[in-house]
Amino acid sequence: MAGLPEWLRPGARPTGRPLGAAVGDRVVRRALGAIGRALALLVVETEPSRGGPLRDADPRAKMLAAVGLIVVATLLREPASLAACLALPLATAVAAHVPARRLVPVAIVAIASAAFMLPATLNVVSGGHPVLTLWRPAPGNLGPWRLPAAVAVTGSGIVVAGRMVLRATACAALAVLLTTATPPQELFAGLRSFGVPQAFVMVLSMTERYLAVLLQSARELHLARLARSVAAIGVRREEAWAAAGVGAVFRRTRVLADDVALAMASRGFCGEVRLLRPARWRVGDWIVVAASAAAGAALLALDRGLA
Amino acid sequence: MSGAREAVFTVEDVRFAYPGGEPCLDGLSFDVLRGERLALVGANGSGKSTLLHILDALFVPSGGRVAYLGTALSEEALASPAFGPRFRQEVGFLFQNSDAQLFCPTVEEELAFGPLQAGWAQGEVLRRIEDTLALLEISRLRSRAPAGLSAGEKKRVALASLLVLSPSVLLLDEPTAGLDPRSQSLLLEILEALHARGLTLVTATHDLTLLPHLADRVVVLSEEHRVVADGEPQRVLADTELLLAVNLIHAHSHRHGRLVHTHPHQHVVAHDHGHDHHHEHGE
Amino acid sequence: MHIPDGYLGPQTYLPAWGVMAPVWSWASARLKRTLRARHLPMTALAAAFTFVVMMFNVPLPGGTSGHAVGSVLVAVLLGPWAAVVAVSLALAVQALVFGDGGVTALAANCLTMAVLMPFSGWWTYRLLAGASAAASRRRRAAAAVGGYVGVNVAALAAAVLLGIQPLIARDAYGRPLYCPFGLSVAVPAMAAAHLLVVGFVEAAVTALALAWLTRTETALPDVRQQPSGGRPLRRLGIAVTVLALASPLGMVLAARFGGGTAWGEWSAAELSRLAGYLPAGFQRLASIWRAPLPGYGPGSAEAASSAGRAVWYAVSAVAGATLVGGTVLALRRIVTRRERRGRSA
Repeated sequence: MAGLPEWLRPGARPTGRPLGAAVGDRVVRRALGAIGRALALLVVETEPSRGGPLRDADPRAKMLAAVGLIVVATLLREPASLAACLALPLATAVAAHVPARRLVPVAIVAIASAAFMLPATLNVVSGGHPVLTLWRPAPGNLGPWRLPAAVAVTGSGIVVAGRMVLRATACAALAVLLTTATPPQELFAGLRSFGVPQAFVMVLSMTERYLAVLLQSARELHLARLARSVAAIGVRREEAWAAAGVGAVFRRTRVLADDVALAMASRGFCGEVRLLRPARWRVGDWIVVAASAAAGAALLALDRGLA
Repeated sequence: MSGAREAVFTVEDVRFAYPGGEPCLDGLSFDVLRGERLALVGANGSGKSTLLHILDALFVPSGGRVAYLGTALSEEALASPAFGPRFRQEVGFLFQNSDAQLFCPTVEEELAFGPLQAGWAQGEVLRRIEDTLALLEISRLRSRAPAGLSAGEKKRVALASLLVLSPSVLLLDEPTAGLDPRSQSLLLEILEALHARGLTLVTATHDLTLLPHLADRVVVLSEEHRVVADGEPQRVLADTELLLAVNLIHAHSHRHGRLVHTHPHQHVVAHDHGHDHHHEHGE
Repeated sequence: MHIPDGYLGPQTYLPAWGVMAPVWSWASARLKRTLRARHLPMTALAAAFTFVVMMFNVPLPGGTSGHAVGSVLVAVLLGPWAAVVAVSLALAVQALVFGDGGVTALAANCLTMAVLMPFSGWWTYRLLAGASAAASRRRRAAAAVGGYVGVNVAALAAAVLLGIQPLIARDAYGRPLYCPFGLSVAVPAMAAAHLLVVGFVEAAVTALALAWLTRTETALPDVRQQPSGGRPLRRLGIAVTVLALASPLGMVLAARFGGGTAWGEWSAAELSRLAGYLPAGFQRLASIWRAPLPGYGPGSAEAASSAGRAVWYAVSAVAGATLVGGTVLALRRIVTRRERRGRSA
């Protein structure tokens, strides 16, 4: 072995370069958080919990029920019926003991929609009778726009905004309930009830299968970045790092795709996808579908009745 | 003498180079006999893995010829309904990267893939799956997705997915790399039992400690991608000069007072006797 | 710019599904044809890769971060049809596995991000990259512009889909049922955000990732080797013929809805009727050229039945297309012959 270089001893740093936290660190940590959350959904380290009518029902039934109700939600007009539509998945989630953290995305949708829809409450967007006047600007122009006489929250505006927030949140709640009640692979199998061809379902399930692998690669890249960040390196270099990361993941993708193709060929893949157990519907599944259809019909009736 | 054992694989002057131009195999010739356990050893990059891919008809050699039971391996042969499916069922390849090998959503479906593709009846498939899960001691993993399994569990599932097809030949690419001791010993036990039933085994590895368990015959590949030795494990392993030359072992130097002592040595990862270095030196 | 559920009404999202279904089957048929045995794992991994790109936090000036969609990058790396499938799958996984992004709006999102974006970005890239070498700066710049164009096209499409909601769906009191912001709000807002910020993020990710890959990887799909999928001229000929034969529709529909001559395209008689007089210069120039088929039919056909006029309309269309096409092909042949002569000289 050649001798150790002079500077390779513990603690020997060139003088004049202060250490500082990298600005990009925050970005990297946030990304790591996102990747971690995604992986938590994809990688199940324990036996999937059985039990409860929600989990045991056939995924096709659950999918039909959820998507059916989402479509109903997009047809409802009255805030009251929309509120009922929102209450339904929330109540089901509570009854099925869905942990609160799985419902966080629903809350996020609610807050984001509310923020987006705030301008819609104003008379300049929705028109209608003012309920709460916010601002009376002096007459004149602001750029190409003519300033209105008053900027106020209107009754119509509240209805419009409220409708949007309720509907968006109800749809999100239904979607999240579907994903918590059904592990991804079963969900994809459920797609067949919508006439999605088997090959497509297989690709979808393979996508989900390897997403975890690629995300783990991405996580390692981010961790390596964090471990090596001794100083801020500027946005250009940060962008270059992000691009190199994307490139590295792509290489992994290519290699993995080739290897999987070889593995499939090696085990005699004949080009056609074949199933082990063709799924069969049980009574419980029919009940789920019927219940959701009834709920949907009731909501629509309520909606048209209120109108 | 075992009598005229038939050659399962005949490799004649096989060359292989990747499309980039880098030569990977340079004129290899040898036979694999029925029921024998062959180990392909060589340092990383010597081409062992590529050779296994060629034996499994996944890569096409740039030159030379490979035959399985007399039939030359080619795209036409693999595409023919008489030869292709039979070849795929009889020859199993355990990949080094278990992630690539486990591409189905659950363990159960993974085991079912091969038999279903071969067109076997559902009852038969389910029975074999049951038995194989029990053999590899992974019955509790039946409905699990591959992403959450440990390396040892993945390797067992991968092997199970091959065994369901009752293969006659198994090609193993670094089978014990990164495995926990229990998985490793189970793997070797099963391979031993299968060999007693007539399984032909070709293992590619750079871990010389596996040879007593997995090899009746050793073929050594040099870093120049050529065969430099072919014979019984004891004889090949005793040729330390050769092993040094192909970078399978290293020369280990240490000091004793004013003397420097050098001996060939391969680091052992797990050792039964509790101490790694056993030096004999008179001083 | 993912559109969530509830912002688009069924009048919008159902036709989106109708549009996407044939596009998806066409795209996957193409992939199966070009990739053959490898198409299943390759497609799945491309989709997983797209998803990861969507998740990648790209640092921006000011300590913030943004996301790129990545459709144009995937189109450049694997071809636009592969991008259609990969991005659609990534969006589907996002909606179904993570409950993030609309389920009813999935097709609409695929239309903007999985079809319009990769194709517009890829065509821009090909146009600008020309025949330059894989690792050249020109290619990278072309990728950047392609990314920028692609994401803005997608944003514009999304803005239009959202902006038309108040026009097409209102309740009994005239209040919008779905997205309440009309085109005059949605389009400028989305356009501003994407032209000024998001576009540059997309451009940066696309160009830099491509640069990194061409530096390290030798076997990148060459732009010139993209499968052309059938003789392009033949397809063009078929398309033009179909359109030509369908052209009388325009005449029939215009007559049906009482539309007169298009604005500004009046003849001398019509102008003098509309304005009350005919400008002198107009009068002078009006008789300079006597068209062989005035009004898309011989003079005598003016008085003929509408069916007769429709036939002449179609004939004119075919004649015109043949004339234009023939001229272009002849010119092309002259130019290439001159080039070849120049090269061998």
